[in-house]
Amino acid sequence: MTATTRRRALAAAAAGAALAASPFRINVLRAQEGPIRVGFPVPLTGPYATEAQNQVRAAEVAIAEFNESGGLNGRRAELLPRDDRLNPGEAATRTLELIERERVNFIVGSLSASVQLAVNNVTKARRVIFNSISQSDAINEASDWSPYTFHEALNPHMTAGAVGRYVFSRFGKRVVFLTADYAYGHEMVRGFQRAGAPLGIQVLADIRHPIGQTDFSTLLPRIQALRPDLLIAINFGRDQQITMRQATDFGLKRSMKIVAPVLLYSARVAAGPQAFEGVVGGTSYYWRLEDTVPSAKAFNDKFRRMHNGAVPTDYGALGYGGVRTLLEACRLAGSTDTDKVIEAMRSLRYDYYKGPQYYRRCDHQSVQSVLIVESKSRDMKDENDVFNIVHIEEPNEANLRTCAELGHAG
Amino acid sequence: MAHATTAEPAAPRAALSGALERHRVLAAAAFLAVFPLVAPFEALAVNILIHGLYALGFNLMFGYLGLLSFGHAALFGGGAYLCGIAIVHFGAPWWVAIPAGIAGAVAIAAIVGALAVRTRGIYFSMVTLALAQCFYYIFYQASDWTGGENGLRGVDLKAIALGPATLDFLDPRTRYYVVAAFVVLALWLLSRILASPFGAVIEAVRENEARARACGYDVTRTRLLAFVLSGAFCGLAGALNALHLSIVPIESMAIETSGLAVMMCLLGGMGTFFGPFVGAAVFLLLESIVSVWTVHWQLVVGAVFVLCVLFFPRGIWGSILHWAAGGGR
Repeated sequence: MTATTRRRALAAAAAGAALAASPFRINVLRAQEGPIRVGFPVPLTGPYATEAQNQVRAAEVAIAEFNESGGLNGRRAELLPRDDRLNPGEAATRTLELIERERVNFIVGSLSASVQLAVNNVTKARRVIFNSISQSDAINEASDWSPYTFHEALNPHMTAGAVGRYVFSRFGKRVVFLTADYAYGHEMVRGFQRAGAPLGIQVLADIRHPIGQTDFSTLLPRIQALRPDLLIAINFGRDQQITMRQATDFGLKRSMKIVAPVLLYSARVAAGPQAFEGVVGGTSYYWRLEDTVPSAKAFNDKFRRMHNGAVPTDYGALGYGGVRTLLEACRLAGSTDTDKVIEAMRSLRYDYYKGPQYYRRCDHQSVQSVLIVESKSRDMKDENDVFNIVHIEEPNEANLRTCAELGHAG
Repeated sequence: MAHATTAEPAAPRAALSGALERHRVLAAAAFLAVFPLVAPFEALAVNILIHGLYALGFNLMFGYLGLLSFGHAALFGGGAYLCGIAIVHFGAPWWVAIPAGIAGAVAIAAIVGALAVRTRGIYFSMVTLALAQCFYYIFYQASDWTGGENGLRGVDLKAIALGPATLDFLDPRTRYYVVAAFVVLALWLLSRILASPFGAVIEAVRENEARARACGYDVTRTRLLAFVLSGAFCGLAGALNALHLSIVPIESMAIETSGLAVMMCLLGGMGTFFGPFVGAAVFLLLESIVSVWTVHWQLVVGAVFVLCVLFFPRGIWGSILHWAAGGGR
């Protein structure tokens, strides 16, 4: 070590000590130069734990990437994941903790409709930006929305619309719905009917079942007797797995196409190839998008490097998108000031992992592509290769509900 | 509680526990005043207050009257929803919304109680459980009023006007002390009820129902009254929860919420005044701290619960009281 550098090091250390000794300077330091803190409440335990952990991993990629590229003028970002247990009350408590004690700059997260609405209600009263990364129609509506609310994920209207437009024109117009009887199911059916009306679809039956039904075999003969072209199974998790397995065993696939509006990578991996063979559905992201989209390739490679070669899931990728948009907006705004970041978010035209996206001005819904995928059991590149991307519906504001319909002024 | 007639070294302990027993509300108020200084964060401290009050209301039935209700979520959730609905749909101020929540819970308790108090033991648990599920379903289906699956949002109370002064309810410290004021008031009321002749009747019914009846007490009416009072305390807890979180999730009416009260009571010590509160505090603190450093927090919390049940059957607070009164473990 030469004399000059040693002297410089000593000077820096002395300055640091002086700074540390002065309580006033520390406060200034914390306010202006402290890390950018991103609170991340997701259900790390419970039925969606695997998905939530993937979201955290993807968010870590966004944080690492931001810090490696210099942060916000040297200001680093950090992620504060919290377990919301898929419970709105716990999510609200954790969000209060993140805002009041941890003094986070932003909140990103949630993996259910009711949880994101709870978090949103807490953040909007405290004027903290919240970027939601799970599906809900209600969060776009004026009664729940606030200028601090952003929605990076798809919503049921966009997903059902894209899937409906694809399947009704290709596989036929005689439709049976098999729907889990709760808000998500109802919103999806509404989306399909809206997309199908101009195409002249004929709904033969809308069969509702309670969440957690373990046997669908009594419903299957009735569905077969109706002779539909399409069976649209709007359920989730274990319900979906059982539906697909029993429908396959019963031979429904020989006479009709089975559609699952939200076809998740993790659900398909858990259930195995046979049950989902040939099932068509929608998703926000699938890792094989990397074959055609350079930003997807870049994101996947970073994810693989950080997480032992694993690939991001669809909801996981949203964790990356949700955090990265905020951090990029901070850079654009040159600060973490809430109003300036909101303005920067609204002006973003970004392509971070799935092709071009932007936030619609009136409701801050991310306008983005919807992928239509078909599950496969053959020609798999490796064990992670479970879908074929059969169609990509490009981003288009016309596929969203209008601002006026949602109750927004502009 | 002047039974300091046992061994000599137990006397100061007994004196301390006696003083605590006589001035229990004062002691609680003093503790709650400094509690936010030691709690990890204010929102958790408020949760402990609210769930402590909820478990306390539940303990009136479970610990003092000896009836295990599995339907208290309907009372907690009912209070939360009615308070929330008063604010969201009618724009009511806080001093209308909180009584509305209590009234709602009292009404639900009266209905459930009228149908359930004639049964005993496991049958009482089953009837309350079934009726609570009915109320869950009613509130779930009435989504225009309750938000259904998505929960009720917009229970926004930003400030509390008290004459000329205005308290900022969004400020975490202020929110804590506002809720604490209600909780101390409820503690005082409950303490008075338990010390009254009616309180003695409740315990008489628990100890020997036939004898209480022979003494001329109307056992059924005592039970119904206790259930409705329990409903009022749980309803207040629910209403405060709605104001604290600014939402009412449908989960607050779910069966898990009923189970939570049982667990907190057992952990802290059923039939003791502060036991449920201690149980709520230990449970929520443990859950909150452990879940930050491992996703396997349920394993840790579950193990602690099992150990407590195995080695401290009186509960944490019950064991402390027993020790203070000079008894062995």
